[in-house]
Amino acid sequence: MIATAPPTTGFSQEVFDAFLADRDEPGWLTDRRVAAWKQFNNLGMPSNRDEEWMRTDIRLFHFDRFTPFADIKTPAELPSALLAVGVELAGHSSSLDSLSLSAELSEVWAKRGVLFGSLDALVKAHGDLLRPYIERQLIDPNQDKFSALNAALWSGANLLFVPKGVKVTDPFHSFSVLSSGGVDLGKTLVILEQGAEATLLTETASTDPDAGGMHCGSIELIVEKEARLRYVNLQNWGSGVWHFAHQMGHVGANAGLQWTIGALGSRLAKVNQHVALVGQDSEAQVNGVMFTHGKQHLCYNTHQHHKAPYCRSDLLYKSALQDKSRTVWRGMIKVDEKAQRTDAYQRNDNLMLSTTARADSIPGLEIEADDVRCTHGSTSGRVDDHQLFYAMTRGYTRQEAVRMIVTGFFQQVFDRIPIESVRDALGEAIGRRVRDIEQ
Amino acid sequence: MATDTIPDVSLGEINKYDFITPSHDVFKAQKGLNPEIVAQISEMKNEPAWMRDFRLESLKIFESKPMPKWGGDIGINFQDIYYYLKPADHQGKTWDDVPQDIKDTFDKLGIPEAEKKYLAGVKAQFESEVVYGSLQEDLGNKGVIFTDTDTAVREHSDLLREYFGKIIPPSDNKFAALNSAVWSGGSFIYVPPGVHIEFPLQAYFRINAEQMGQFERTLIIVDEGASVHYVEGCTAPMYTTESLHSAVVEVIVKKNGRARYTTIQNWANNIYNLVTKRAVAYQDSLMEWIDGNLGSHLTMKYPAVYMMEPGARGEILSIAFSSKGQHQDAGAKVVHCAPHTKSRIISKSISKNGGRSSYRGLCKVEKGATDCKSSVVCDALILDSASRSDTYPYIEVEEQDVHIEHEARVSRIGEEQLFYLMSRGLSEAEASSMIVSGFIEPLIRELPMEYAVEMNRLIELQMEGSVG
Amino acid sequence: MSEFLPVAMKAEVPDPGSLLVEIDEQLIVLIHAAGHYYALDDVCTHDGGPLSEGPLDAEEGSIACPRHGAKFDIKTGAALTMPATKPTRSHEVKVEGEQIFVRLCE
Repeated sequence: MIATAPPTTGFSQEVFDAFLADRDEPGWLTDRRVAAWKQFNNLGMPSNRDEEWMRTDIRLFHFDRFTPFADIKTPAELPSALLAVGVELAGHSSSLDSLSLSAELSEVWAKRGVLFGSLDALVKAHGDLLRPYIERQLIDPNQDKFSALNAALWSGANLLFVPKGVKVTDPFHSFSVLSSGGVDLGKTLVILEQGAEATLLTETASTDPDAGGMHCGSIELIVEKEARLRYVNLQNWGSGVWHFAHQMGHVGANAGLQWTIGALGSRLAKVNQHVALVGQDSEAQVNGVMFTHGKQHLCYNTHQHHKAPYCRSDLLYKSALQDKSRTVWRGMIKVDEKAQRTDAYQRNDNLMLSTTARADSIPGLEIEADDVRCTHGSTSGRVDDHQLFYAMTRGYTRQEAVRMIVTGFFQQVFDRIPIESVRDALGEAIGRRVRDIEQ
Repeated sequence: MATDTIPDVSLGEINKYDFITPSHDVFKAQKGLNPEIVAQISEMKNEPAWMRDFRLESLKIFESKPMPKWGGDIGINFQDIYYYLKPADHQGKTWDDVPQDIKDTFDKLGIPEAEKKYLAGVKAQFESEVVYGSLQEDLGNKGVIFTDTDTAVREHSDLLREYFGKIIPPSDNKFAALNSAVWSGGSFIYVPPGVHIEFPLQAYFRINAEQMGQFERTLIIVDEGASVHYVEGCTAPMYTTESLHSAVVEVIVKKNGRARYTTIQNWANNIYNLVTKRAVAYQDSLMEWIDGNLGSHLTMKYPAVYMMEPGARGEILSIAFSSKGQHQDAGAKVVHCAPHTKSRIISKSISKNGGRSSYRGLCKVEKGATDCKSSVVCDALILDSASRSDTYPYIEVEEQDVHIEHEARVSRIGEEQLFYLMSRGLSEAEASSMIVSGFIEPLIRELPMEYAVEMNRLIELQMEGSVG
Repeated sequence: MSEFLPVAMKAEVPDPGSLLVEIDEQLIVLIHAAGHYYALDDVCTHDGGPLSEGPLDAEEGSIACPRHGAKFDIKTGAALTMPATKPTRSHEVKVEGEQIFVRLCE
């Protein structure tokens, strides 16, 4: 029938006002939230006539079926985090349904001026420091209803700030959890000042692998000149979760960003992942690992924007699809007129593990400089029968053979990830999900 | 009535096609687009009721559809165009029957020479009407029909009606709807089973009067085991006001048939060239599109092959060359609707002097189309920083048992190559020209000889003055 | 075998007319034409457009996609014109009193 859950007050004015009253934030931040809230209410749902939304039907998504900041009891046991197993961390934080649960930062780094933990708390204590970065507004709240909502209501958010010249050797880890039917409005803000270095691992999960819920999030990565950031984001929401995110990285002169995403969960994902090379001689490597099953629909729009000369970007997205799932990858490389001597690459490979899966691959190039080297490539196909046969003659079962072949498929991306715990976690998570392919 | 107009030669490159013949049109409709004008067009052509109704229904569809939000900037006032002109009262069978001023036009285009060679027949279009055509006897004896579409509506009604508007229905897009309402001229070709036409069938087009639109409608039916190669080349003089060319081409290639459709488009730089071309290929057949886009202010054209039955193959070779004030938004579409089908797209584009070339294409594998292979390669040369190159490929795969590959590269002319040629005594312009010729060689190789020569000369002309 | 689920009241779908309904996490277009009711997946197999937003031709027994005009048979979901070449799913409909029921078919 039409609605199984009774309509709730959802994202109402009362909810927003109560939220603000509770925050006690600096005035400039409150003003930003209020303006974004107004936008959220003014904007309609995205139209299926927009290029961005044409392949991703969200008519079954209803804001009024979710209640943010609902009272829930913290479960006795949270799901286990995957990425930081056996790793010595510089800091760790966690949240549940957009409320901060914990935040720890090792003394060694705190003493050197590093800030890590809940942005909600840290923006109050370090408002003056953080304000110019937040005001840089890497993500425009007015872009669509989802960016506006996140700009108005972000909470349970993560901050990593590394001051000039500080090179943090151990990784940071942050874990966001959603209860069944819960709402996560998280935000990740990373600021690396000149010459800083750090590694941040973030992951998401639901309390139940089949849980429903909603995530409307944002990620802003500011990598100033000569700084280096390695950022890993593993999306592992329950298979009923609606996942909307706007993600943006700015890379300054001579700086480097390595950004790896793993996309395993959610019912429907619509993620914009943009990287802008704003300073000369900067580089960005973007790696994507997607593994879908059931009726999942994952749509990832990536963007490599070369605004300065002598920069290099390299994107590799690999998807394996099972059952009736569907992936849509739209990638654009945009090279401005003054971005001469650009090297930009983009590649998307799709491995189809069933006859009912569907992969849409839409690479793109918009080039306005002439002294450039830009290529993109895309392949789609199935598991090679010869490889399968060979493995089975060596005594592996069909399922084991498929698992090995799928792992082999992703190897090229894994080889680009220097963090062992991440490689292992991704490899294992994928391995567990591989079932037998159809005969 | 249009009178002598001296083209403004300072506007840019002149080639031998930039001339205008004073127009002695026998009948001229008024400007604008409405049901009365559409009904009038149908009446002038003595069409059966079903075609008139088809046109009127298409007009309604045209008016209800919005302009596309993608592609180029289409700045046309649809009410400011003549949609129909009829230059002569009857269709000439031999060269002598054709009015003199039209002969003059064709003289300059070199048609008599072509006629003396081995061409099968020439369907030439002048101001929306086919005024000259002759079909060589042996083709006629084999049962080949090669006539203009207007005549086909009257004389081959049943055959035409079976396919007309079925491959590209009027609601497919706004410009298909426009063409469906006001189409005039174009070629109708039927090749009976087992018949192979050894030499290319050709057509020439010309836009002459100011504000003139060209809406030819071509339908080619290749019956089982037959084959044909159709070549069209366009040209138009330069004007300062906009002109519109919106054609529709439908091709059916039946079991074991082969068809190749070659276009060299060199419209003057004020023309909007918005074309829908689609072929359906049946069992074990082959459809090839060879598409050269050199002229026009804006071209939007994506020849398509739908592979409907096992063994069907589609190949598309596309070249786009854009210079100052031009936008070529061209590409190709291949849709695999049946298993064991193969397709290949090769696209080459060159942008210089602020021109913009875009590749826009689709490779789709539908559910059930197992064991398919498709390869798409797009190479783009961008010659200076004022120019722009875009690639927008769409790949949709709904089957697992397939091999789909797509690759695109954008670069400039390699410095090493240039240096090598210049060290052999060529100027930078000559060296660039040679490299560009080499770049598009795969297409040139597939053209009939006189076109190949013409193309190479046109490229040389385009390349002059491009250095800097 | 899934059940018949109530989706709308007769009064909500005039003849001729169509209505977008949600059943069991799926979007279905409910059609009323020439005295009968039909139900199809609300998706055009050509480019994913919403059939519920396109014109219904009760006489011809077709519904068209607003994007490129591809037509589908309202009874069987078969593709009737280019550019669609594959059928969209059709489902069973029954009416009891004033209530319309749909059973989703695989």
